[in-house]
Amino acid sequence: MKINQVMDIAIKAGKILLANGSEIYRVEDTIGRICRSYGVEAECFVLPTSIFITVTGKDGEPLSVVKRISERTVDLSCVEKVNSFSRRIQESPIPYEEAMETLEKIEREKGYKFGLRLFVAGVTAFVYTLLFKGTVQDAVVAFIIGMLIYISKEKVSRIGVFKFFEYFVSGLIAAGMSVIAVKIFPFLNIYRIIISSIMILLPGVSTTNALKDALHGDIVSSQFGMAEAIFTVVSVTAGVAIVLSLGLGWI
Amino acid sequence: MEEIFLAFIASLCPGIMYNVARKNLLWVGLAGMFGWITYASMLEYSGNVVFSSFLGAVVVGLYSESVARLRKAPAMVFSIPGIFPLVPGIAIYNSTQYIAENNLSKAANTGIEAISCAGAIACGILMTSAVFRIVKKRKKLKLYRKV
Repeated sequence: MKINQVMDIAIKAGKILLANGSEIYRVEDTIGRICRSYGVEAECFVLPTSIFITVTGKDGEPLSVVKRISERTVDLSCVEKVNSFSRRIQESPIPYEEAMETLEKIEREKGYKFGLRLFVAGVTAFVYTLLFKGTVQDAVVAFIIGMLIYISKEKVSRIGVFKFFEYFVSGLIAAGMSVIAVKIFPFLNIYRIIISSIMILLPGVSTTNALKDALHGDIVSSQFGMAEAIFTVVSVTAGVAIVLSLGLGWI
Repeated sequence: MEEIFLAFIASLCPGIMYNVARKNLLWVGLAGMFGWITYASMLEYSGNVVFSSFLGAVVVGLYSESVARLRKAPAMVFSIPGIFPLVPGIAIYNSTQYIAENNLSKAANTGIEAISCAGAIACGILMTSAVFRIVKKRKKLKLYRKV
């Protein structure tokens, strides 16, 4: 197999991993493993927004590729599949076309439907209200607000104003809707509703990934993840705080 | 008992939102359940939120690293939804509310609580993966020696 075909496979696998919320060290590991299993020595350096690979060909000519990743979401089943794909390749290298086809199939896979995810977002808010010792009435309101937040988060992120704007808007909506709900039904508990509905916005993935990266010695990416987590929390709470400063007096 | 069931769903749902494959969903739910059982019983026993969060995270970490080997999936698939019930949402919210009420000293109090809980969870996850890494490295060293 040609060297640039090997690089193609490695870049594609790395891109899928990075765009779906994998840790950085896993991306570097996978790229290195794929290149090694085709007998190519590669050096790679991965940042949360881009992949750099350099390989040296048989004639000593270095060849390098830079790949930018602009869109990043979380899809853990993609990460899992690419991970097992790279391990399979390590055992028995497969031809270029077959490998690319497998990767494209992984990339195209859609996962759960929007309707189910929306419902689950509501259920999450519902369950967390009960877990925080709220009443069933609180939980029902949280269910509705949780679904609204999920819609707003998905839609605003599609418009793409800037990275953390969707979190700010979701915080605004969560607090605003809860204030209105408590104004209409005074027996509700405002703070349980807000906490459980913003639960789905908290940055679990970037925090844990940042920690794992730090453990593997990748301090740069770890700081990136930490900063992302802090910005996310701050934007959510800023949205909530703005509404609460105005709304708490009004209730 | 009721809470245990709730904790199961509470980490299963983030699992679905993060698109965990269907065959692993049950294991994801169990991760959150074990973490919550540890956290809640420790909290009842000692009354220390930060320490209970730490132990909860350790249990989630141990569980997800071992299930990852069993199910041949990355540990993050289980640990990320698993720590969801432990996240200090209440402290983060309280701190925000005190800021909105212009009660800054109380805001600092609860803010520090939130940060230390998050730090404790981080520490727990970090330590368990560190232990598992040492075990893995030792296995590799043994293999090299045999060759």
